[in-house]
Amino acid sequence: MTTIRRFSCNDLLRFASVNLDHLTETFNMSFYMTYLARWPDYFHVADGPGNKVMGYIMGKVEGQGESWHGHVTAVTVAAEYRRQQLAKKLMNLLEEISDKIDKAYFVDLFVRASNTPAIKMYEKLGYVIYRRVLRYYSGEEDGLDMRKALSRDVEKKSIIPLKRPITPDELEYD
Amino acid sequence: MASKFGLAGGIPERRVRPIWDAIDSRQFKNALKHSTSLLAKCPNSPYALALKSLILERMGKSDEALSVCLNAKDLLYKNESLLMDDLTLSTLQIVFQRLDRLDLATGCYEYACSKFPSNLDLMMGLFNCYVREYSFVKQQQTAIKMYKLVGEERFLLWAVCSIQLQVFCGNGGEKLAMLAEGLLKKHVASHSLHEPEALIVYISILEQQARCGDALEILSGKLGSLLIIEVDKLRIQGRLLARSGDYATGADIYEKILELCPDDWECFLHYLGCLLEDGSSWSNGVHNDPINPQKSVDCKVSQLPDEVVHIYYPYILYVVCIFCCTCILLAHLFMTFYAEFDFCNLDVQFHSRISTSLAFVKKLQADTSDDFIRCPYLAILEIERRKQLHGKGNDDDIVEALMLYFLKFGHLASFSSDVEAFLQVLSPDKKTEFLAKLMKTLDSPATVPTKALGQSITIFKIQELTGNLYKLPVLELESCAVQMVKMYCKSLPLSKDLDPQESMHGEELLSMVCNVLVQLFWRTRHLGYFIEAIMVLEFGLTIRRYIWQYKILLLHLYSHLGVISLAYEWYKSLDMKNILMETVSHHILPQMLASPLWGDLNNLLKDYLKFMDDHFRESADLTFLAYRHRNYSKVIEFVQFKERLQRSNQYLVARVETSVLQLKQKADNIEEEEDVLKSLNSGVHFVELSNEIGSKTLTFNEDFHSRPWWTPTTEKNYLLGPFEGLSYCPKENLTKEREENVRRVVEKKSLLPRMIYLSIHSASASLKESVEENGSKSGSKISSELKFLLEHHAKMLGYSLSDAVEVVMGVSSGVKSFEAFGSDEIDWINFAVFLNAWNLNSHEPLQPDRDQCGRGIWHVVDTLLVKYISEKIKSMESLVCSPRVDLPILVQLVTEPLAWHGLVIQSCVRSSLPSGKKKKKGGSMDQHSSLVLNGVRDSIQSLCDILKEVAKWIRGQIDRPEDESVENILSSLRKKEQDEGPGRVFHVLESLIPSINEAEHGGRICQELKTWSALDVARKIVTGDSTLLSQFLNICESKIKSFQALKQQIAPI
Repeated sequence: MTTIRRFSCNDLLRFASVNLDHLTETFNMSFYMTYLARWPDYFHVADGPGNKVMGYIMGKVEGQGESWHGHVTAVTVAAEYRRQQLAKKLMNLLEEISDKIDKAYFVDLFVRASNTPAIKMYEKLGYVIYRRVLRYYSGEEDGLDMRKALSRDVEKKSIIPLKRPITPDELEYD
Repeated sequence: MASKFGLAGGIPERRVRPIWDAIDSRQFKNALKHSTSLLAKCPNSPYALALKSLILERMGKSDEALSVCLNAKDLLYKNESLLMDDLTLSTLQIVFQRLDRLDLATGCYEYACSKFPSNLDLMMGLFNCYVREYSFVKQQQTAIKMYKLVGEERFLLWAVCSIQLQVFCGNGGEKLAMLAEGLLKKHVASHSLHEPEALIVYISILEQQARCGDALEILSGKLGSLLIIEVDKLRIQGRLLARSGDYATGADIYEKILELCPDDWECFLHYLGCLLEDGSSWSNGVHNDPINPQKSVDCKVSQLPDEVVHIYYPYILYVVCIFCCTCILLAHLFMTFYAEFDFCNLDVQFHSRISTSLAFVKKLQADTSDDFIRCPYLAILEIERRKQLHGKGNDDDIVEALMLYFLKFGHLASFSSDVEAFLQVLSPDKKTEFLAKLMKTLDSPATVPTKALGQSITIFKIQELTGNLYKLPVLELESCAVQMVKMYCKSLPLSKDLDPQESMHGEELLSMVCNVLVQLFWRTRHLGYFIEAIMVLEFGLTIRRYIWQYKILLLHLYSHLGVISLAYEWYKSLDMKNILMETVSHHILPQMLASPLWGDLNNLLKDYLKFMDDHFRESADLTFLAYRHRNYSKVIEFVQFKERLQRSNQYLVARVETSVLQLKQKADNIEEEEDVLKSLNSGVHFVELSNEIGSKTLTFNEDFHSRPWWTPTTEKNYLLGPFEGLSYCPKENLTKEREENVRRVVEKKSLLPRMIYLSIHSASASLKESVEENGSKSGSKISSELKFLLEHHAKMLGYSLSDAVEVVMGVSSGVKSFEAFGSDEIDWINFAVFLNAWNLNSHEPLQPDRDQCGRGIWHVVDTLLVKYISEKIKSMESLVCSPRVDLPILVQLVTEPLAWHGLVIQSCVRSSLPSGKKKKKGGSMDQHSSLVLNGVRDSIQSLCDILKEVAKWIRGQIDRPEDESVENILSSLRKKEQDEGPGRVFHVLESLIPSINEAEHGGRICQELKTWSALDVARKIVTGDSTLLSQFLNICESKIKSFQALKQQIAPI
């Protein structure tokens, strides 16, 4: 039961039940507002009955040439609404916007190498591990760069896995 | 322009680059070195100077930075031939902004734009300056100039947004919306629009003027194609149609959306609203309170407006006929005819539309194969609810619909919150009937174990939600908790393969067990239940340490118990930062304000204020970012959001409390206190705040949803009062009540710094005046201001000054009981303290029949403090007997009124010391001073004695053998399962431990449970209590030391 709509500033005052989860980072205000100011189409919230926040997704579109891609910065669902495929719905929406509106080649995301449940979920959604980023998280834990090709990448070149891991300095984008 | 020729601010870039590199890598000394050599070559370059000022500012040398920056500005203005480039200006702007001198930055750009009126870069810089200053009119003017210059759509939209901001956030009238529309219309006619956001703004301007028809026309025209996602366009269309009253077409549009997005609940509500011609969901502002939204959409009961005239016409006629007493019979005939005719019509209409909606919903159900789509099923419930609200439905149909929904989705964690609004319309009997039906389903549980568990949990939740759970007698309620905890233990194997980061099956059960145990504590006052609730949650966190719901419950349990140090530990573990500090710190802040944990409180307040102030500083730049990226709707949103946070009640409270905390911390040393007061401008600003608070609009951004039932808001704690037989504690929206309360608190607390300042001066003036004999002008000024504030303070307590004096005297002498102070005891004693200080320097008698002026009412204040503190100490038992609910009051008494009284004493002693400037003529003591000092001496003695009493009590608590206290805590829980009373739940958990095995529960759960120890938890409570009390002891000892020193100082006088 989901009304998915654009995220607004007031939603920052309503998302506590989602963000109190230990895996959901609460960023500083300029981070959220930069996303809202630059990529409002990539920041959506899902409301349930009684106007409860069920979850949200934030992302952006960036890159040049064949690297032009959608990026999932965060996707999170409140405990009460898990196991209902809400994350899938939110991801599909971001993919659709990247594909149809921005004509991106692929969508990517980073996930902690130890976060097996999330990796499995992304794999189910069609993402593949493109490369490993060494010590991506606070210089400690490795991150996995996962990708899903969009319709513009007809030959699916963007998701051919890299053979060697890279370091955070080698990343093209923040 | 200089930059166009590869120069930076008129200087070759290769010379500037090393400076920027050094700044970027924070090597400011190095940067300054490069800057000095650059200035040697280009001493009159404004850019070189601007760079130097930037470096100085970064080094923390604000004054120097400002001076150099002003120098650069002057050079820029003076030298007509010099280049006026954006790089120099933007560098100056950065420095001025960081120095909080936006006006100077704006001045520079204004000057530059006047010199180069067709330079777009400079105009954008100027626009940005106005964005930072929130000067909407000037923004509009500048944007229009840019638009005229280059004719670009974006600048027109910048102007339109600036106009909208004047309407929404400024004083702009509605005529401005017409102006904005005119501008857009003209542009569209000649250039059309090219950005979807521009179209959204255009539509919103028309909507503001209630011109939905025009907006629809634009949307369905060529411009509509700017919205690429079909559903987005349909949503706007649906809203516009409903708002313009074309409900039939609106319903068709919403049908289309639902066919595309069958799970969109809000859309279904709109659809139903259109069908029943009920505009409530568009006009009642479901989103008015974004934090505490309504659980169900309001709806009008008398809908279908076409019929309204027909319905009321005969009524009006009927009333007129009766009124005229002409023909009652005729009137009745009229009524019978019309009522039958029109109500019949209305019924038919209503039924037909309800049938339409039902048919559509059934079709949606049939077309949907996705098992997770709930909307078309919950829709049946909403339809039944509407029928009932119209008097056309019945409870049985709702119960049946609820059962169907349960059979399909009862296993989901969200079931109870989905149906909450529908349960509310059921009568108590029907709720019980529904529950009975639910219970029956347990006879044939779902085959999938996780589903069966989910359904069982849902049934408990519904029992909780309907209040039926809490109607059970104590024993049954206890059994219910036992049943829940057994279910939890049984469900553990289901989670054996889950990652520790994932929520486990059945986690909600322990939260519910805690709720029941606290209810049992409230009813029976048996602390064992309370301790048991703590143990249950600590046990749950041992298995998985990430469950925030448990942490919040524990935080409140420890707070109520009086062990705020442990509450704060759990709060910290929640990692509440950034915007969560605004919405969720209410869990801990009020308790911390009355605690002796000053260091932690200071961090809490400091972090929160920093977050808010940082946002206020950055917000305008982010607004400009939205302008630049052409996301115009976000421009409005950002400005409104900043205003919302600026008006936050919590922000206001935190600002006042931060100052009060500083005053509390330094109160043992009058010189240090005076430094604090100086930094607070002697409390003058806070008095202004106190005067203005009544007219300020406050916002309440706290999210109370996660608060436990027993304390639904910061002001309420049911456990402090007797059991009220409340079977269900709804989380009321108490914003109005809270608003009053916050205003009162801020109004009173804001006066404190000034009253402390005046009291210190009044006390010293009284002794100086007696020495100077003739009195002084400043003394009488202080006296009259303090009297004015005392009158204000008394008024806030509900009394005139003379009546408040009567109350204070009455309570002190024992004629009146402490009850006369009500719950404002701290404010009353503060009043007495300041009254004494005023009286010292006043020539007015406090009470008409008694001559007390000029000597103070030391004994009155001392008696109040001593009596009240002694009473609180006596009332507090040991932690293992009952929660220490009086500890916060005791801490406040010592750290507030007693501390302020101590400052008055310090001031008197300092003024009477024969040293330096304060040396008295001839050194002899006059009679007045001597009388005052006698009062001071007695006061020091009383306060010292009572503080020693407090210290003795604290030591008594701390020095208790730890093992004994631990044993006492645990003994209340050691029951066998079949016994009545606390301990049954705990027993189930404890007996789980030996049966845990890796094969059944998985390695991780086994491993975690090995670390579980109830003894450790009990020990943690005792240690936490000692930590807290030790901090309080330190405060008391410091005060004792300070008073003893004063005693020695005053002895020879």
